[in-house]
Amino acid sequence: MELNTGIPSGPIQQRWDKHRADLKLVNPANKRKFTVIVVGTGLAGASSAATLAELGYNVHAFTYHDSARRAHSIAAQGGINAAKNYQNDGDSVWRLFYDTVKGGDFRARESNVYRLAQVSVNIIDQCVAQGVPFAREYGGYLSNRSFGGAQVSRTFYAKGQTGQQLLLGAYQALMRQVGLGKVKLHNKQEMMDLIVVDGRARGIVTRDMVTGAVRSHMADAVILATGGYGNVFYLSTNAKACNVTATYRAHKRGALFANPCYTQIHPTCIPQSGDYQSKLTLMSESLRNDGRIWVPKNKGDQRSPDQIPESDRDYYLERKYPSFGNLSPRDIASRAAKEVCDEGRGVGPGGLGVYLDFSDSIRRLGEKAIADRYGNLFEMYERITGENPYKVPMRIYPAVHYTMGGLWVDYNLMSNVPGLFVLGEANFSDHGANRLGASALMQGLADGYFVIPYTIGGYFAQGGLAGVSSDSSEAQAAVKEAEQKISTLLSIGGKRSPTSFHRELGKIMWDKCGMARNEAGLKEALTRIPELREEFWQNLVVPGSGAELNQSLELGLRVADFLEFAELMCYDALQRNESCGGHFREEYQTEDGEAKRNDDDYCYVAAWEHTGVGKTPTLHKESLSFENVQLATRSYK
Amino acid sequence: MKAFGDIWRSNLFQKWLMAVSGLLLVLFLLGHLSGNLLVFLGREQINEYAHGLRTMGHGMIIWVVRLGLLSFFVLHVTSAITLARRNRAARPAKYHRVESRASTLASRTMLYSGLLLLSYVLYHLAHFTWGAVHSEYYAQACPPSAGCVDCIPDVYSMIVSSFQQPLISITYLLSMIMVGLHLNHAIASAVQTLGVTNRRIVPVMRILGPGLSIIIALGFSSVPLAIILGFVKI
Amino acid sequence: MNLRLHIWRQAGPNDTGMLKTYDVANVSEHMSFLEMLDVLNEDLIAKGEIPVAFDHDCREGICGTCGMVINGRPHGPVARTTACQLHMRTFKDGDEIYIEPWRAKAFPVLRDLVVDRGSFDRIIQTGGFVSVNTGNAQDGNAIPISKPDADRAMDAAACIGCGACVAACPNSSAMLFTAAKVGHLASLPQGQAERSSRAMNMVLQMDAEGFGSCTNHYECEAACPKGISAEFIAQMNRDFISTTFGGKA
Repeated sequence: MELNTGIPSGPIQQRWDKHRADLKLVNPANKRKFTVIVVGTGLAGASSAATLAELGYNVHAFTYHDSARRAHSIAAQGGINAAKNYQNDGDSVWRLFYDTVKGGDFRARESNVYRLAQVSVNIIDQCVAQGVPFAREYGGYLSNRSFGGAQVSRTFYAKGQTGQQLLLGAYQALMRQVGLGKVKLHNKQEMMDLIVVDGRARGIVTRDMVTGAVRSHMADAVILATGGYGNVFYLSTNAKACNVTATYRAHKRGALFANPCYTQIHPTCIPQSGDYQSKLTLMSESLRNDGRIWVPKNKGDQRSPDQIPESDRDYYLERKYPSFGNLSPRDIASRAAKEVCDEGRGVGPGGLGVYLDFSDSIRRLGEKAIADRYGNLFEMYERITGENPYKVPMRIYPAVHYTMGGLWVDYNLMSNVPGLFVLGEANFSDHGANRLGASALMQGLADGYFVIPYTIGGYFAQGGLAGVSSDSSEAQAAVKEAEQKISTLLSIGGKRSPTSFHRELGKIMWDKCGMARNEAGLKEALTRIPELREEFWQNLVVPGSGAELNQSLELGLRVADFLEFAELMCYDALQRNESCGGHFREEYQTEDGEAKRNDDDYCYVAAWEHTGVGKTPTLHKESLSFENVQLATRSYK
Repeated sequence: MKAFGDIWRSNLFQKWLMAVSGLLLVLFLLGHLSGNLLVFLGREQINEYAHGLRTMGHGMIIWVVRLGLLSFFVLHVTSAITLARRNRAARPAKYHRVESRASTLASRTMLYSGLLLLSYVLYHLAHFTWGAVHSEYYAQACPPSAGCVDCIPDVYSMIVSSFQQPLISITYLLSMIMVGLHLNHAIASAVQTLGVTNRRIVPVMRILGPGLSIIIALGFSSVPLAIILGFVKI
Repeated sequence: MNLRLHIWRQAGPNDTGMLKTYDVANVSEHMSFLEMLDVLNEDLIAKGEIPVAFDHDCREGICGTCGMVINGRPHGPVARTTACQLHMRTFKDGDEIYIEPWRAKAFPVLRDLVVDRGSFDRIIQTGGFVSVNTGNAQDGNAIPISKPDADRAMDAAACIGCGACVAACPNSSAMLFTAAKVGHLASLPQGQAERSSRAMNMVLQMDAEGFGSCTNHYECEAACPKGISAEFIAQMNRDFISTTFGGKA
């Protein structure tokens, strides 16, 4: 299979402008003749649905939530990057581009990243116009904060709720179009499958989560903005409902899945407290500005932290990375924590935790100064753990947070299935092997507000779209298949709940395909996952029926897809014989334990083709060329 | 532009009507109270005052005021009943357990205290204005119906002899507790409904409202109390 | 700890529903309230019973999906905390806990503790936005916004749309939710062009959805997990009346 990226030629600075000029247009009067399905109403979905409706397209937006305002974009705390250079500190589109490519450990596509940096400035303007209450200085101008991986201050924020405010801005724009009748919103509908007719994406199959009705919806193009797959690990910072079904179903219908092994592990999360744990909660990375991370020097030291003298403490990040210390990048800090816990020096229940200690800062700056900076985070920590972090050091542990991999897309954000566009975290395109803080919001909105409105027009203008209806054999077959799957799931009548399978799968993935991976572990996972999947189809129990609101069934359907997808992740991790960004292969590290990239052999995007459940997928490679940023090794010593 | 009829029927406009009419009724109460307190200055003062009210502007003013009061009252009661019915309909199923955090006895019982006040007002008018009940005391006031057109009525005797009856006094005192309870929530609530957001005024009103309700209730109660305790006599 | 739960069970929108009693044993104080319900549900599945349906998603207090009345209070006994952030250490061994869905005509129960809050979306659709198409915007710094104004807008915009205000209000009124959006946009220069029509349209839509009216109990403010002030309600009242008498919108 030939992967046609469609990257325009010419200097990188002019590619997007040139491409926009080259794209064919759809006459305003003709736009209303095209129907677009948008699945997901997070940042990317809501912004694209609203913008396409503004342009005149008929849009059908789908969400499994009860309202379009609840997607997990809402939980992003820190901020959104944009190359505004309001601080006059040397920022530019070029620098944001450079930081993002480097931060992605040289596994992202240069042209896409450059475009992302270019439109970042428009995002801020658009959001301000919508009434997003970004933080302001006393003079009334926009305020910025610094974030990891950058030496300039380019992050815009709205308290600790930036994702919420940006999502509400997009949601409000979407609601306006719903009110105007240009968008038909379908709440509480879960996508079950993609309908491909004559090789093009022409519709989806959904299940109404209240009535259980399964039906097809047809359109001229389908946009998936369905987020990431971090919940394959069961425990992650993702919302409970986040799942891989939409993208994985599209994958089974022919769309290539790119770089599924790239997962980001966030170093500062509240550790698991017991087996009942349902999700992990992130604590903002900013805490590492004033907190010092340590564990006891000696294995099995059971003393309470205040009884452990300085001489028996190991401030391991400060020791190993003297110049960056506690502010080392996410992947490095996460791995270091895992290492000390693997050595048996972890703290808290199960020894899975390290201390994040503010006592030095409190002594130096006073409790009030610390409360001013982190008061709400300390409160949240205390609410969850019942411990007062002003008195006792916080306990933190890394957790799965974001997935850089996703469906493969070209420069137009279209997958290899014509008419199937993929936006936001659901695609693979901009973050390479590691995403920088405050860049996820930027990408979701860039895709939705400023990229897809142009590129989808180019697709429609090419013509060749015949009429299509729900009566088509492809649509009927897909509906039937979905109904069949539901009834099979309901009729197994075994002993184990969907959650118990999900939890077991998550454990396998975390142990074998988590923060650090190795060949033996991945191979073991590749034998255990099919076994578990086998058991799932023999021994699952889903109470209730399909024709009602049935949360166990919803979960069962999602877990069924995770059980297939997990295998794909392991295949990807196994083939990538190097360490880069969020993918750390233990066999490929430097003498002092740092990630060792292999640019000669692995400077490519791994795009996987589905060949059947339980069969080895086929690998296609899109080689990456770095014409503008020099390939270099990251160092934080 | 929305039709005024739609706006008129809206909850928020009905609330506004209730608040404005309610505040005007509070103003009336304050005027009424200052008149009542003339009892303590003696027979002549309050009788002169009553006479003045009746004859002001050739007897026209009192009718204008009565008409105004009647319309505020009708607006206040109808809007309250309209809203109360809608509010019931908005929660068809009740909770098995409810723990309130911010509401008060006064705020929760506005409808009941209001309905009791409505019946009290009718009784009060029947007593002092129409003479339909306790007419033996009403006759002492030499009302125009008794053929006393230009004479100064003896309101003082009517009041004192009425309140010397313990049953009447107790009815009035209980009603004044109801007035206090109603206004305790009403005044600050009306200010909120009118949309006062000034951060200096709002906290003051949340204290002033209940404060004023106590002053009004105590003020009105002072007359029957003083009479029944014998401080004010015929 | 061991607990006795009284949970509202209702098989579907047209079912009458009733409180059912469940005993849960060995609840850890570190569990969140929803994790305690997860454990109950796993038990129910193991026993071949239908688990309790309840809404939830992010489990970190920001998505606004979860919502249940716990012992007579929306989101439970701890102020400024959503049900998902409520932890079992708030309770003690032997406690009886009543768990009921949001109760409002405008929030019909779909199943057990799950209600349909589509009415909130429809309120927003009538005016809870700034009409600006993508691409229309000028530079983000073109209009300075004073920090107090921006902060005030943020205070209102913090609403998560969970519906606790409606659940807490004895009249099932949506005034705090609606006022938060009206107040957010009224605090910013970008919101001024449509300020009048927004207040008018959103208020009338609230009525159309069947929410009750405000009687200023301030139960909404006390129940709001984000601590949104009832001051925004006063502001909306004012915008509505001045629009009425200004003949606008």
